[in-house]
Amino acid sequence: MTKFLAIVKREYVQRVRTKLFVIMTILGPVLLMVFTVVPTMLMSVKTEDTRLAVIDQTEGAKLFPAVQGTLMKTERPRDKNAKVEIVDAVNDNTQQRMEKAGQNFNGGFVVTYVEGRNRPLEDLKRELNGRIGKGELEGYLIIPPDILLNSNVKPIYYCRNLSDLPSQSQIERALNDAVRKQRLTAAGVSEEALERLSQRVDLEVYPVNEKGEEGARGSGIAGFALPFILAFLIYITVLLYGQVVLGAVVEEKETRIAEILFSSVKSFTLMLGKLIGVSLVALTQLGIWVLAFGALTVVGANALRSSGFDSVGFQIPPTFFIYLFVFFALGYFIYATLYVLVGSMVTTTQEGGQVAMPIIFLLMAGLYMAFPVMRSPNSSFSIWISMVPFFSPIVMLVRIVTQTPPLWQIALSMLICIVSICLLLWLAARVYRVGMLMYGKKATIPEVMRWVRQA
Amino acid sequence: MTAPIVSSTVLVDNVTKSFGEFTAVNRLSLEVRAGRIFGLLGPNGAGKTTTIRMIVNITAPDSGQIKIFGQTITPELQDRIGYLPEERGLYKKMKVGEQLKFFAELKNIKAKEADRRIDQWLAKLNLSEWKMKKSMELSKGMQQKIQFITSVLHEPDLVILDEPFSGLDPVNVKLLKGIVLELKASGKTIIFSTHQMEVAEEICDDICLINRSQKILQGSIREVKRSFGHNSVALRFEGDESVLNDPTLVADIKRSADEIEVLLAKDADAQLLLKRLIDSGAFVGKFEMIEPSLNTIFIAKVTEAV
Repeated sequence: MTKFLAIVKREYVQRVRTKLFVIMTILGPVLLMVFTVVPTMLMSVKTEDTRLAVIDQTEGAKLFPAVQGTLMKTERPRDKNAKVEIVDAVNDNTQQRMEKAGQNFNGGFVVTYVEGRNRPLEDLKRELNGRIGKGELEGYLIIPPDILLNSNVKPIYYCRNLSDLPSQSQIERALNDAVRKQRLTAAGVSEEALERLSQRVDLEVYPVNEKGEEGARGSGIAGFALPFILAFLIYITVLLYGQVVLGAVVEEKETRIAEILFSSVKSFTLMLGKLIGVSLVALTQLGIWVLAFGALTVVGANALRSSGFDSVGFQIPPTFFIYLFVFFALGYFIYATLYVLVGSMVTTTQEGGQVAMPIIFLLMAGLYMAFPVMRSPNSSFSIWISMVPFFSPIVMLVRIVTQTPPLWQIALSMLICIVSICLLLWLAARVYRVGMLMYGKKATIPEVMRWVRQA
Repeated sequence: MTAPIVSSTVLVDNVTKSFGEFTAVNRLSLEVRAGRIFGLLGPNGAGKTTTIRMIVNITAPDSGQIKIFGQTITPELQDRIGYLPEERGLYKKMKVGEQLKFFAELKNIKAKEADRRIDQWLAKLNLSEWKMKKSMELSKGMQQKIQFITSVLHEPDLVILDEPFSGLDPVNVKLLKGIVLELKASGKTIIFSTHQMEVAEEICDDICLINRSQKILQGSIREVKRSFGHNSVALRFEGDESVLNDPTLVADIKRSADEIEVLLAKDADAQLLLKRLIDSGAFVGKFEMIEPSLNTIFIAKVTEAV
């Protein structure tokens, strides 16, 4: 036991003390932000105004004011009171909220009217094309005269940048709104009635449990997001630490210390000590991240509340967090032991990296399994798949969140996981013991099978 | 528990170990006596390392048995053994001092005691100023001395050294040799595995020569040499060397810078050789009956077995 602790301690101290660990701990969340949030932001950022000319050929150019109004109003949020914007956003549904948030990053539109009735269209187009060519315009829109009567007639947008899809869709939406409004007005619907009639309805959702009791009004978002947060956590941890576990197991082989150590400790003690040591390092790093994230959330929520904004009610029972932790641990260890197994077979870390590739695929498969399970959590597919050790940590958690399955099923899947971990460790230990003393060559599968029988 | 009083530290009894088709050690028996330096000799691939691995309980024999200090090996007994394998390394990025402490912990040495001994040993091997350095900053020779310390730090009763001097410069070889002799003087038993016969000859009390997984001869160096017979001649002469090519007289010759060691053929007479040399008109500067060197015995025995 003292020897085991000595190994765990060495593994832990040597790793936590490195500069790499400190840097990664600080930079990890930053990098995560950079790789997830920033690309989404960049997608919606438009750095300059879109200069748009509109040729409205309808009678009396009835559509232009509405199009201009929509485009130029919504695209200038800086002039508005930001707080009003937020309150607005909260009342809207999620999609609209996201759109609005996105619009804040959009450049505005500068919409100008081009008088087209007195001149031939070809002439006008030539002139406007010239202006686009000279960089004075981003594009122009031709609204055909009979657009209000004939749905088959299509407006045409000429532009410099075909790839600026967000702007195109905004123009399309503005034009659609204008056309619909005009058509309705033409049909005798008043402006005010229009407002009233086009108000949305939102679905209110209440869960009903197996005893037939109604629950509090819930948001599916939490149930939807949490298993994915877990899956993501397992994924990140395995991605970051699988290689470290592998490296740790191979380390003694690469540095040829194995034989010295084996004259002092059992190979199983050494292997397990290394696994636990590295896992504690992972736990330390994750712990720091989770605490930092938690603190930020609390601060953020307080800030929101003080600005008169009640946070969205997450209805998560506390038992869920226990499940979250347990399944995270199981998920982590089942994949970590796979890395141990690979590490025991190979002689260098590089070699191990290649052999370990399928592990990542297995992990991703588990993530994809979560989708069908989320939609029908009690189908026989879901039940079976939640018993498969490599998928169960993610899948079972999805089931717990969506429609909690009977306790025996949860317990069974945990048990299967634990047994699998023990089996994998046992297998890895046998391979490790023999493989450790084989220097310089990678073992073939038949050789590994023989080691398992031999050891 | 009172351990039985035994004079043999290691007893290997009829041990066989195979890897698949290959028999690494075949029905090997040997005895290492307490307080002596035991040379386990043999060419590369003879089965030395496999034998040692079985002694320190890294692998188990297929058949036969091994007793250490009169008992079957246990983890507790393992702590009384110090092992410097031929395949050895250090944690590259770990500081020398920490590293030694880790190895001491694995032998159940208390931290304080370990610190004291580490300082002592580092000083003894002129490595004190390297204590806080990472081992990757050390030269190969220094690393080897650190590895040597790991095998003796816990003051084991049995020290097993597998090619401990390979790659060391003469100064350091002398230093370590001195320490090995000190260990013996303090009552430790040492198993010394090598194929460098000169070194073995200098420090071993007993030897066991194995070749192709089998024991060829065993005994004290005295006995081995005596049984091999006084049939070597150290020779220095000028003249015709064709006499030495007569297989009825000469079994083998070994040339050094200024003299020739002649291993006489079986039943050949040294006097006859001298006579023939003089008859051939050679000027004989030195003609001395000597004991065969361990190297001569080694080569003779190993090639004889082929």
